[in-house]
Amino acid sequence: MTGSLATRVLGAVALAAVAVMAILALWISPADEVQGDAVRLMYVHVPSIWVAYGSFVLTAFASARVLWRTRSGAGGSQGVIADRQARHWDRVAGAAAELGVIFTALTLMTGSLWGKVTWGAYWQWDARLTTSVLLFVTYLGYLALRRLPAESRSRARRSAVMALIAVVNLPIVHFSVDWWRTLHQEASLELGPGGARNYTGEMYWTLLYSWATFTMVALWIGIHRYRVLRLEELAEEAALEELLAARRAEYENAGPRSTEQESNERAEQVTSR
Amino acid sequence: MSDLSPRHPLESAPDRAAVRQQMGRRRKAMIGAFVLLLLIAGGAATVAGLRNATLFFRNADEAIAERVELGDRRFRLQGRVVPSSVALDSGVTTFEVIHNCASVSVRHSVDPPDLFESPWIPVVLEGRWVRGDVVTVGGRDTHFFSSDNMLVKHTNEYVAANADRIADPDEPPEGFLDDCPFEVPRL
Repeated sequence: MTGSLATRVLGAVALAAVAVMAILALWISPADEVQGDAVRLMYVHVPSIWVAYGSFVLTAFASARVLWRTRSGAGGSQGVIADRQARHWDRVAGAAAELGVIFTALTLMTGSLWGKVTWGAYWQWDARLTTSVLLFVTYLGYLALRRLPAESRSRARRSAVMALIAVVNLPIVHFSVDWWRTLHQEASLELGPGGARNYTGEMYWTLLYSWATFTMVALWIGIHRYRVLRLEELAEEAALEELLAARRAEYENAGPRSTEQESNERAEQVTSR
Repeated sequence: MSDLSPRHPLESAPDRAAVRQQMGRRRKAMIGAFVLLLLIAGGAATVAGLRNATLFFRNADEAIAERVELGDRRFRLQGRVVPSSVALDSGVTTFEVIHNCASVSVRHSVDPPDLFESPWIPVVLEGRWVRGDVVTVGGRDTHFFSSDNMLVKHTNEYVAANADRIADPDEPPEGFLDDCPFEVPRL
């Protein structure tokens, strides 16, 4: 229902890429001199957090757009367009945040397994792990906030504000290994000239390939999730239309009722809640 | 088109205020509960984490310099394991760790992680200073470190395992002992 030719092709390519990634990560890429085969967890752990970072940045960008498009002042057709765009960016923010949470969870799980093999412990409260779990909890809170019942515009604005606050933790997570002493090792790969690249050939390329694969998978899931969110909105709108139609029919058949009848019904509704 | 305006002016409905108040109260309660949950979760993680996070360990040279302040308090000590110093004696693993040319004698009472066997591996040990005369590669010392928890702190360098590579397992990492006034005995 949410598929299109483009997403089907993307899905097939992503699936094939995952299969190739598995071969590269499990057989082609060498074991590490110190860690042995445990190093293969890196091909899931590191790309997962990169995709999570990207998702949270997208959430923040989309949230900024939501706030921009829902600022007061726009009316008439301009207002309708702004509202439509705000809803679009709100869906983007929601779908991206869900992806970020999933991939952060994957990072924490694989990191925990990796930690047990290498450090000798599943978990330690060092700065990297602490800020990472804080990131996870914060975005879980963001998703919970999105689920709270509210008028769509204020819900979107409220969520957008929280997304812009939550994203502040992102650089803290990333640079925690440089700013504080951590059990977690420092970055092994840094972008830009002179940046660290502490991998031998096959490991480096397998890692980059895994990242591209994870990005494709995330994109595929994200597009579908966006469309599901849109369908949910349409379903809500259809349900509202149905209620309005029922109300019209009721009005036309029975005519307006007395104030007393109406207030009694309202009181019953309130009591039943 | 049918008239979709309210069936009567809302202002005239006697229960309007009550309805609005009840809805507002419920929404506020939900938001309040949500914010509270978030604060508790975030606060618990932050407190538990940051208490240890900012100074997760002391390097061997710092632990020696702060020995008086540390007393018999538990802390984490970091250093590289000297391969030639490792010995197992009735369930206790003894070895030395070095950082910034400061060496510490360690008595570790629990089975170490597998990667402990890697030569010159950095480890983080949890325990306390105990008085006792010991001799380390750096000279005589009046204390050793009694540890009951070991974490291996692997580096951020990944090198392909190569069975054909001729490597000296006793060889310290490049530059690690360059400024040290002592020689480390070989295996």
